[in-house]
Amino acid sequence: MINANWKIIIETIGMLIYATFMGFIFMGIERKVMARIQRRIGPPIYQPIIDTLKLLGKKESVSHGFIYDFGPVFALGASITALLFIPIANFQLFSSNADLIVVAYLLEVPMLGIMLGAMSSGNPFSALGVQRGLLTMVAMQLPYGLAIIALVQHWGTFKLSEIVALQQVHGWSITVPALILALIVFDIVFQAMLGLEPFDIVTAPAEISMGPMVEYGGKHAALLFTQHAVQLFAETTFFTVLFLGGASNLLELLIKQIAVLFIAIFVASIYPRFTVDQAAKFFWKWPTIIGIIAVLLTM
Amino acid sequence: MNMMIPLILFTPLIAGVLTWVLNFRGVRELIGTLGALTPLVLLAKIYPTLMSDGPITYTITVSGFAITFRLGTLNWYFATIASLVGVAMAFGMISTSRNGYDWLFALMSYTGVLGVFLSWDFISFFLLWELMTFASFMMVLKRSRHESLKYFVLSVIGAYSMLLAISILYAKTGALDFTTIGRYLYANVMLGSMGRGEIILVFVLFLTAFGVKAGAFPLHVWAPGAYSENDQSYTAFFSGALSKAGVYGFLLLYPLMGTELYYALGTFHNHLTFAYIISWIGAVTVVVASFLAVLQEDMRKLFAYSSVGQVGYILLAFGLGTSLGLAGGLFHVLSHAIFKGLFWLVTAAIILQTGKTRFEDLGGLAEKMPITFAMALIAVLSLAGIPPMAGFASKWLIYEAAISAHMPLVAGAIFLGSGLAFAYVVRFLYAVWFGQRPSDLENVKEAPLPLIIGMAILAILNVVFGIAPGLVTKYINVLLGNPVIAGNYYKLVTPTGTYNALSVTLILIVGLAIAGLIYLYGANARRIPVTDTYQSGNPVTDEFNLSMRRNFYRPLAEALGFWLRYSFDRFYERLASIGEDFGDWLRKGFYNGNVQAYAWYLTIVLIILALWGVL
Amino acid sequence: MSEDGGFISYELKEFKLFEPLFRWARKKSLWIVAFCTGCGGIEIPPLATARYDYERFGILPNPSPRMGDLFLITGYVTPKTLKRIIITYEMMQDPKYVLAHGSCPINGGVYWDSYNVVKQLDRYIPIDVAIAGCMPRPEAVMDGIMEIMRKIENGEADGWKRYRENYEWYKKNQDQLFGEGWREKEARRWLAWI
Repeated sequence: MINANWKIIIETIGMLIYATFMGFIFMGIERKVMARIQRRIGPPIYQPIIDTLKLLGKKESVSHGFIYDFGPVFALGASITALLFIPIANFQLFSSNADLIVVAYLLEVPMLGIMLGAMSSGNPFSALGVQRGLLTMVAMQLPYGLAIIALVQHWGTFKLSEIVALQQVHGWSITVPALILALIVFDIVFQAMLGLEPFDIVTAPAEISMGPMVEYGGKHAALLFTQHAVQLFAETTFFTVLFLGGASNLLELLIKQIAVLFIAIFVASIYPRFTVDQAAKFFWKWPTIIGIIAVLLTM
Repeated sequence: MNMMIPLILFTPLIAGVLTWVLNFRGVRELIGTLGALTPLVLLAKIYPTLMSDGPITYTITVSGFAITFRLGTLNWYFATIASLVGVAMAFGMISTSRNGYDWLFALMSYTGVLGVFLSWDFISFFLLWELMTFASFMMVLKRSRHESLKYFVLSVIGAYSMLLAISILYAKTGALDFTTIGRYLYANVMLGSMGRGEIILVFVLFLTAFGVKAGAFPLHVWAPGAYSENDQSYTAFFSGALSKAGVYGFLLLYPLMGTELYYALGTFHNHLTFAYIISWIGAVTVVVASFLAVLQEDMRKLFAYSSVGQVGYILLAFGLGTSLGLAGGLFHVLSHAIFKGLFWLVTAAIILQTGKTRFEDLGGLAEKMPITFAMALIAVLSLAGIPPMAGFASKWLIYEAAISAHMPLVAGAIFLGSGLAFAYVVRFLYAVWFGQRPSDLENVKEAPLPLIIGMAILAILNVVFGIAPGLVTKYINVLLGNPVIAGNYYKLVTPTGTYNALSVTLILIVGLAIAGLIYLYGANARRIPVTDTYQSGNPVTDEFNLSMRRNFYRPLAEALGFWLRYSFDRFYERLASIGEDFGDWLRKGFYNGNVQAYAWYLTIVLIILALWGVL
Repeated sequence: MSEDGGFISYELKEFKLFEPLFRWARKKSLWIVAFCTGCGGIEIPPLATARYDYERFGILPNPSPRMGDLFLITGYVTPKTLKRIIITYEMMQDPKYVLAHGSCPINGGVYWDSYNVVKQLDRYIPIDVAIAGCMPRPEAVMDGIMEIMRKIENGEADGWKRYRENYEWYKKNQDQLFGEGWREKEARRWLAWI
């Protein structure tokens, strides 16, 4: 059972507020950097917070059924759960209760919630979005798994706090040659996890009208935006914990997260979009081969 | 002698015969359900004695051969899982079966499976194995000849391989019961009384025999047809319990022949070679079956391929060679039985109420059958491996075991298999429960009560074993003899990782509460019909097709275009048709209706007999 | 299914505490429904590119009307387009604003004597801000956007309120132009097998 410790409760609430806020800032940084690369000015960094407030402030809301309402709620709940099991900087939160595999699965559960909601809205565009989202996920699972396996085999443990501690002692993961290959594979998969080009096949704004989210507006869209923010924060922290040695305070974590985010944005601003079968063939060719080499080297 | 074991074993068979004889509507359901419940009740009653006193045995001697049945920890585990699924099957069959034929053979196969799990020597093992196969064959025969023939031929190949292997073992060791064989083989490892070639032959024969039943990769071709062309409540038992008989056989290889195989085949990069082979068979099964499941158009075939894939998980776990792997595999036996049983009962409900099996005819049933939908959602969460359900706990253990045992490529195959499981399960959800409803499904009603009771039993078990996986792992620790998985009722602790199911559940509830608060703050949502949807501004009515029900995963079929050209199913069918053509040619050649040819045959035979001196 | 889908009888939610905050948020993050009506659709991309960048005001094109709040009617409107505009407008969620771009929605513009162009758009859809010109230059459009942001801040942008309160009048005009039951008739025209 969990010890209902006041310290943990206050830490959790504080971390949730911080993570949501910083997640929105990361989304804003994404838009600002893309704009600057295109030689525009771009929105202010806190723009996603304004967007979410506007969506929450809509005076009307529609629904296509119980699962349509439940989908975004479930997605946000699962993202919050995934966040609380990762050791963030020097706050352990609940990370002694769940390890790497649990967190990796919990980071994929929100997609199920969004898919459930999208499917129940009964729109063909949503169905197409669901198909593409699932196939992208299927395509990226193999290299994703191989990268994580290489990492775990090298450090010999699944617990995230121990991985951080081992990296503080022995040096970051990227100083190990075999794990650089794992880093390359994980970075390519990371683009798909974040939903950035060339793998933003799920949403594909101009092709299928926002994909799964086409029928979502108002407060449901606000929930989905908040979920995207929390997910972004959780995923960048996951990357940092696995490959960049965690962090000893929040500022160092922020710097590492922004570094990871910048690499993702730079790649995203160059590439157009893949189609789904091209993405599947791509993922199962070179990233898988590099992943297999990495895994065999750490065996 | 203690009569408990024969009671457990033969009550279902007697109940089955009684239902066939007294073929009246209420009576046969009552007798059938009682017959299915008895083993479960007796097994529950015997649990305290088992824990305190140790295994119970029961022997009959028939003309010099001693037939032994044993109820130890391993047997009790498998037998209870089989009876749980059997009870759910019985409740399902109350609604879906219409005649005593189904009840007779379903209960006969129930006895067969219990017998396979409780027998402790090869005679009863083989006899009850054949009884189980025969009964399930009869269930398939009633509905489709071609599929039943495929099932029959493959099962017979497996059974004869097993018979050969048993005979070789008898010839070498002079005994047929497991204890003696195990002891003899272990003691004679150094003397080398069994040659290396013979051990490998026995291993391959047993692999074939158990592989057919479990549905391992090249021998899985009977499974989609046999699982589909069947009473779906019975398929819950068929795929939930009968495939476990094959897996049980694989597990038996360890105590019986483990040391012999180790000395014969050695190790390969620090892994036991024979276990490595089993593990790779499991990994290939997982990948191939899951890919095929994603591309199916028929609901039953999708679940059939999914069953084959999940049993591949169990084989993979058993083949890792570590005790953590065995624990993970045993847990997955339980969770696969309960979530796959639940899936097949849901399918039975859908087919019973709508009469349709292909995805293109179904849609939008979530409003009409809400309870069945809730059960399907629980099963989906369990199969996709979402914490906190039973499916996730067992998958977590298998991941831990595979990566700790330094078999990374096999673990990569499991990752891919899990992703594919997610994909086909969401396809099922979308095509059947969401989207636009076809006009001929407007009057569909909720499933009948007995079927709901059967589904509820399995769903509650799913949730309970998901939130408290320690209940199962404590028993598995007792089974394996040493504490492999530490932790309390809610928490699983292995040397390299932890998983606290209760804390994940509680935090998920907290997360849902926070999200719900934000949801409740916004404007009230009003319900709109499915035609009020954005189609680039075009007006839409009910006559438009708003759902994508066919070829949902066509891009994947395009990406896999090269591999889909090869298929073991077509290979076997081609072999069978070559055999048929050969037989036809022989028949036309010899029985050609030509009187002169017959006169020649007569003459030749008479000459041979004369030369031999008989005439 | 009733013609309006029940949205007229729906009671809107009033945010008592945070209304000024929400009004500021609505002003600073207008999302345009990506619906380019007539020949004026060509004047929107220059606004999005580097020279007149509208993203610094938070404006984004969004393909889904459920998530959009600003509808740009850029150019002339034929009855065929007007049907789609009305359906999309009713899918947007309150509060929503309409910006009429060009002279054609105001009085017919260049097509003042055509049989196929709607002359006075204000009878079918409530308009908040109208920008004259054929086509207006991007600076004029930016001026119009500033005007609508000012109106939102003052609470004067009430096209959606007018639509709800005077729905019978709007519906009468729409039915007069298209005929009764025009949604079902229009839907059936596009079913190839009927």
